[in-house]
Amino acid sequence: MEADNCVALHNVTVRYGRRVALEGVSGEFVSGSLTAVVGANGAGKSTLLAAIAGVVPLAKGVVDCAARRRLGYLPQLTAIDRDYPLTVAELIALGGWREFGAFRSPGTALRTRAAAAAETVGLAGRLGQPIAEISVGELQRALFARLVLQDAAVILLDEPFAAIDAQTVPVLLDQLMRWHREGRTVIAVMHDLGLVRARFPVTLVLARHCVAWGATDVALPAMVA
Amino acid sequence: MSAHALVVEPFETLAFMRSALVACLALALMNGAVGTLLVLRRMSLDGDVLGHAVMPGAAVGFLYAGPSPKWLSLGGLASGLAVAALAGMTTHGRARRDAGLVAFYLVALSLGVVLVAWRGSNVDVMSVLFGTVLAIDQRALLQIAVVSSVIVLVIATLYRPLAVSAFDPAFLRAVGTRAPYGAVFQALVVLALVASFRAFGTLLAVGPMLLPAAAARCWGLGVAASMALATGFGLAASIVGLLVSYHGNLPSGPAIVLAAGLLFGISLAATGSWRRLTAMIG
Repeated sequence: MEADNCVALHNVTVRYGRRVALEGVSGEFVSGSLTAVVGANGAGKSTLLAAIAGVVPLAKGVVDCAARRRLGYLPQLTAIDRDYPLTVAELIALGGWREFGAFRSPGTALRTRAAAAAETVGLAGRLGQPIAEISVGELQRALFARLVLQDAAVILLDEPFAAIDAQTVPVLLDQLMRWHREGRTVIAVMHDLGLVRARFPVTLVLARHCVAWGATDVALPAMVA
Repeated sequence: MSAHALVVEPFETLAFMRSALVACLALALMNGAVGTLLVLRRMSLDGDVLGHAVMPGAAVGFLYAGPSPKWLSLGGLASGLAVAALAGMTTHGRARRDAGLVAFYLVALSLGVVLVAWRGSNVDVMSVLFGTVLAIDQRALLQIAVVSSVIVLVIATLYRPLAVSAFDPAFLRAVGTRAPYGAVFQALVVLALVASFRAFGTLLAVGPMLLPAAAARCWGLGVAASMALATGFGLAASIVGLLVSYHGNLPSGPAIVLAAGLLFGISLAATGSWRRLTAMIG
């Protein structure tokens, strides 16, 4: 991985109508860092990821991300329509969107890579199944496989382990650590503070503004306090 | 009565039945694709409201030029697109906004009826409300055929992003797609409704769009196959509805919509999708 995968925030402010969701957040996710974003409900954690992904407009400020073209974003599972008629294989193959684009279908090479990605998250036997018929944990595995295929330099995960079964969490966590070792910048909204303490070197504590941002053992106590 | 007299003769002997059939078939071709995307995007209610949004503009067109297809369509297109743009500006994501939509629906409908009744007769009011599928002339037919072809071609070209943006719009934006596919789709819906307006009126135009698509959706197929099945259902409902209205001396538009409704009911029963009904329509 090249070394320009940092994401810099300058006074990032997001409003939904009159409600301020995020105010004046500045700082930098260092290239190749693994950061947990924590905070109470309504603290603006999901909004921050959406702002970095360019999915919500900024009221003020700038998100500086040289790797914007290579950004992977996984919103909360509730944002995905699970009734949609799509197979697991088709969902994963979407990760190659940049290669086949809006007007062509995924080629054979891409399908092979999709199958390989499915195998790394333990979904090899599920490729032909509609996403309506798999469990929440399996859907999250499929979405992780899509991210693997995207080969993103910056990966944004919104509560990746929420409502996920106990067998799936270690599989997804392994993948997350693999991305970190490969030098990708990973930013994850997290609720499980024990997991944050054990696995995430850097933590950002939000309460609409930035409360603390730095090494987890220093920053995280600001959340607990 | 022979099968020939029952099925073929009405179309063989009567030019207006042939025109109605061709118009309905052309509309069914575009409605299969548009309706399926509408159902998949869970925008059924939006489709219904946009159907009524066409009404005040069409009424203004009527005031200006009487029952001229051109001015009815242009007026309807203008007000439909304006409302779609307005709705796009005032909403964020998938927030519930049913009260606002229903309020708008009632106001648009009443305003349209008042405007048409002000200058026109009861017959004019009935024709904007329920359409006049048996009075489609050559020019109207040509207009329907052109709009239907354009819509089918646009959906065929933009099929992939339209399908993906229905399922996971944040993904498309995150991979750097900036094209406003949601807005493009809304414009297609308005265009389709304006094309259907002459045949089915403001109250029923969304019926031949939504019902065959909802029926096809019951069968658990992929997106493209659902579109194909919805088109097939739409064609079948058009033929059956026209024949029933002819032999039973019943209004044609409602007969076609009822035939599509029957296909929906059969699909629900045959696939055991009753419990998914609320989720699908919602």
